[in-house]
Amino acid sequence: MLSRIRYTLRETFDSFRRNATLTVAAIITAGISLLGVGLTLLSQHAFDNLLARWEGGVEMIVFMNPTATPDQLQLVDDALAAQSQFIAESSYCDEACSLIEADRIFAGEPGVRDLLTEDNILTQYKAVPTEDTDVELLRQVSDAFSELPGVYDVSFAEDQISLITQLQSFFGFRLLLLSVFLLLAAILLIWNTIRTAIFARRREIEVMKLVGATDWFIRIPFMLEGLLHGVIGGALASVGLWAWNSQWTSGVQNFPDNSGFSALVVVDGYDKTVMLIMLAIGALAGAIGSGIAASRFLDV
Amino acid sequence: MIRLENVTKSYSAEVVALRDASFDIAKGEFVFLVGPSGSGKSTLLRMLNRQDRPERGAVWVAGRNIVDMPPGRVPHLRRNIGNIFQDYKLLLEKSVFENVAFAQEVIGRPPHVIKQQVPAVLDLVGLAGKEDRLPDQLSGGEQQRVSVARAFVNRPLILLADEPTGNLDPATGEGIMRLLDRINKTGTTVVMATHDQRIVNTMRKRVIQLDRGVIVRDQARGVYE
Repeated sequence: MLSRIRYTLRETFDSFRRNATLTVAAIITAGISLLGVGLTLLSQHAFDNLLARWEGGVEMIVFMNPTATPDQLQLVDDALAAQSQFIAESSYCDEACSLIEADRIFAGEPGVRDLLTEDNILTQYKAVPTEDTDVELLRQVSDAFSELPGVYDVSFAEDQISLITQLQSFFGFRLLLLSVFLLLAAILLIWNTIRTAIFARRREIEVMKLVGATDWFIRIPFMLEGLLHGVIGGALASVGLWAWNSQWTSGVQNFPDNSGFSALVVVDGYDKTVMLIMLAIGALAGAIGSGIAASRFLDV
Repeated sequence: MIRLENVTKSYSAEVVALRDASFDIAKGEFVFLVGPSGSGKSTLLRMLNRQDRPERGAVWVAGRNIVDMPPGRVPHLRRNIGNIFQDYKLLLEKSVFENVAFAQEVIGRPPHVIKQQVPAVLDLVGLAGKEDRLPDQLSGGEQQRVSVARAFVNRPLILLADEPTGNLDPATGEGIMRLLDRINKTGTTVVMATHDQRIVNTMRKRVIQLDRGVIVRDQARGVYE
């Protein structure tokens, strides 16, 4: 068993060496395409930060002054309950909840976030409208809340998120499409590299078959080679993603205040998850490309 | 050891490589396949190690009909069959030792067995002391000896040789034939396709003659004609 593992590793790395140019090309292509996939996932997550407070179908938020008394809060709570024909459900996001939200919204502006405390943050009532209620109708009934004591402001999702969702969908779809094409190119390049490696070793393969090596024994070093192309590509993409995210996160802090980019950073560790996803996709792409080549071209 | 029953193989409507071929070869026999180019000798050898399959008929090797053998079993069949070729089919970037060891390595023989058996077989074929040479540092005869060593190192039941002396001068060819005769005497069945009249006439072994895919002669202790 040990000798087979040693043989497989030796043959795999020998093939890397013999096929260096194509191998490097395949790895770079896989790396770039995986970086595209990673950036798509990362940017979607960053956009989600901007939309953090509107998650769960929330269409209207009643912001309360930090000085609002329990009676004033109860008054707003009652007013929302009274509009049950328009509002399906409402929930109160207290100081602790609002501070957690602020962590995401001001992820790129730690200075601003540090100024927020339980004593000065606006708490929020979030309202999800009923299915039959459109935003215009909700806007009409909002007067009932905005004039209540203790209310700071009333915001509507439509005003804040339509541009963001448009941008998210524009960039998300196009980046993903580009990544899929690049990934396809990477699979084809890995496929071609393995095919070339098989062709270069056709005499060896012929001898192996004649002395009784099984097809799997012959195939595995080639499949491992393709798998490594994908994994190394994924590792390069991870380094690229880390560098990109670090540069962007530190760069955003120099943007003007209220530029809107402060939430467009990922500092909650999601980038590590994306790196694992890229490695997994890379391994899968490598295995697909090399698996097909090793199955189709073994009859040399 | 080997039995062909009414084997027919054609590559197209016009090219019939073997037509209704039948014969038996017993364990330990030495058989020459003779006939002009295109008579079906190489096709017959390819049938015996399942590189090719007939359209009709049965090919029995070591008690099994290999025509319908599942592909997964073919490598195990081939571990009992050694192959020698006119062009040696050596791996040029591997040393003599590595070329022979390769045949053991790819079927999972442990390193200590390889270290013990490869020098022994190289000694048998007269290449002791040349283990580290590359094939292109050897003469044609020596390269064919490496090929014989590789074919024999796993102690196969059958040795198939396709024109093994075709690229060698007569004296070197005789050396290779002495080697094959020696291997045959260990109990290995040898089937050899050849055009070499002198070798066939000298050795006086069984001769199966093919002509356009048909067996026209099967003679014990035969000559080339």
